[in-house]
Amino acid sequence: MSTFLSALFSGVSSGAIYSLVALGLVIVWRGAGIVNFAQMGQAMFSTYIASTLIVNGYSYWVGFIVAILAGAVVGALMDLLVMRPLSNKKRTELLSSESMRAAVPVIASLGILGVLQALAGIIWAAEERGFPSPVARDGLTLGGTVMPFTLYDFFVIGVVLVTLTVTTLFFKKTGMGLAMRATALNQEVAKLSGIRTNHARTLSWAISGAASSLAGLLIAPSSTLSPNSLDLVLIIGFTAAVVGGLNSPVGAVIGGLIVGLVMSFVNFYMTPEDVILSILVLLLIVLIVKPRGIFSGKDSRRV
Amino acid sequence: MSSKKRHSIFRKSLTRTLIFAALILFAASTFEAYNQSQLSLVLIYFIGVLSVTLLTGTSGQLSLGQGALMAVGGYSSALAMIHLQYSIWLAVPVAMIVAALAGLLLGLAAARLSGPYLAGTTLVIALAIPTIASRFFSIFKGDEGLFMDSGEPPVWFTDFIGEVSFEEWELYIVLPFALLALFFASNILLSRTGRVWKSIRDNQNAAALSGINFSREKIFVFVIASAFAGVAGALYGMRGIVAPSVYPVSLSLALLTAAVLGGIRSIAGAFIGTVIVVFLPDWINLLLGNFEMSTQISDFLPALLSGLLLIATVVINPAGVMGGAHHHKKK
Repeated sequence: MSTFLSALFSGVSSGAIYSLVALGLVIVWRGAGIVNFAQMGQAMFSTYIASTLIVNGYSYWVGFIVAILAGAVVGALMDLLVMRPLSNKKRTELLSSESMRAAVPVIASLGILGVLQALAGIIWAAEERGFPSPVARDGLTLGGTVMPFTLYDFFVIGVVLVTLTVTTLFFKKTGMGLAMRATALNQEVAKLSGIRTNHARTLSWAISGAASSLAGLLIAPSSTLSPNSLDLVLIIGFTAAVVGGLNSPVGAVIGGLIVGLVMSFVNFYMTPEDVILSILVLLLIVLIVKPRGIFSGKDSRRV
Repeated sequence: MSSKKRHSIFRKSLTRTLIFAALILFAASTFEAYNQSQLSLVLIYFIGVLSVTLLTGTSGQLSLGQGALMAVGGYSSALAMIHLQYSIWLAVPVAMIVAALAGLLLGLAAARLSGPYLAGTTLVIALAIPTIASRFFSIFKGDEGLFMDSGEPPVWFTDFIGEVSFEEWELYIVLPFALLALFFASNILLSRTGRVWKSIRDNQNAAALSGINFSREKIFVFVIASAFAGVAGALYGMRGIVAPSVYPVSLSLALLTAAVLGGIRSIAGAFIGTVIVVFLPDWINLLLGNFEMSTQISDFLPALLSGLLLIATVVINPAGVMGGAHHHKKK
């Protein structure tokens, strides 16, 4: 029973982080039609910034806020410097083919990932380093027995819930959120109704950068930080996004929880070596049984 | 296709291959040991990059997992050499067949996927496949890896050529496979098969309307491209050991980078891109060797530069270095 509870809590807590990663992917996919493979490179970079600030005596929260802002700035820069020029490019012979038009932004995002990881190596050296957590990470004690969850788990789940609420409110209640949803739905029509679709796209890159940086900050205390340490998180987040449906923010959250729980139960009941394979198996099952994900609409899959 | 046309394609590919062989042998004769070894690495990568050129450049399927197929090739050849006492000349074809079978499985799944879905799934595969080595430790020996020995040159060979150094022998093993790969890739691209694959890339609906079974063709590309990757993987393992750390995700990305930099649709581009990716660290050393730099910086400069080159290529000229030349040739 206690193994079961441990697996459950650790699954929900890590799943909450994967939800954020998946949400970041979904926001850019809806906003720009691109799966951003550089996303966890951005998160790694922001987390290093936070780490540097904290090591130099600033409080955890200063590092936390600055890292999230940095994530938003890097996200926006990626769009302004690379993705927008790419999509504005006149169709060359190569880009006139449908499959290459989808492939080229992916290749560009991999280039950005390489640049970010190399820069992190140059600035901060490649050695793994630890990352502090704002609250205790020991099992909570209730009435003398050690519980299978920690204060940090509650912190993570709380932060993720707040973030999801804020993002949902932004998309549903604000004018800019509405403009972004319209752009995601149909760029041409949105443009014709006077929405600055370019701004909406840049904003989705910024929001996604902030969300994934938050995920990086939350995951770093339970692993180590190195230029490549978040590569695995990217593919977990991708799997979560596909499980939920790349087009659906709600799906991203549910997908993140599903993936977190599957990984946690495999880790507790089978061997840790099977965890990565279990992601692959889960991804293949979803792609075969329900390729558009659990929560996506009818017209979901573009490309 | 008339037999005359087939003949001319065959001749064209053969000419290209012979010119290539002459160039490589000439370059090798002027190089010292270190650069000879780098040249072998270029040829091995070239075979792997050709698999990306065929898969992504020709048929438009973006795979980030070619390194995993190289691992399949590496492990199957190492196992064949250890348990069946195969020589490298038999082990590489074994690697090719096993990787092609793995490519068939992958292709069956991939034919249903497109664009980012395929890219993401193959990336997951690139990360997941190497963990099998630790999972089945008794067979694959986990992080320790399997040792592969290229063996000594046979007597008839040394009688014919003379004594060869270790680096030269390695080059003589790799070269024939690279030449075969170049010949086959050139044949495929010039033939009807190549045009069918390009039509899947450019417009799937139009391809289907012209009677092309594009699912079957997509799977077929995967099988062929995987066979290339398998050969590259076996030769790559021969340089030392076969272990998960030899086939990291960054290997898959390096193959893609090389293919894109040179020109993702052209064989000459694949070679140019490979030369850039393999020799970039040496060139940086040559240029910046006089400056005092910490290893922290110099270790990451090649990765930084190749990332920047990759971004610049797709933003400025997505067709790569050989893109222009290719365009003119097409008439």
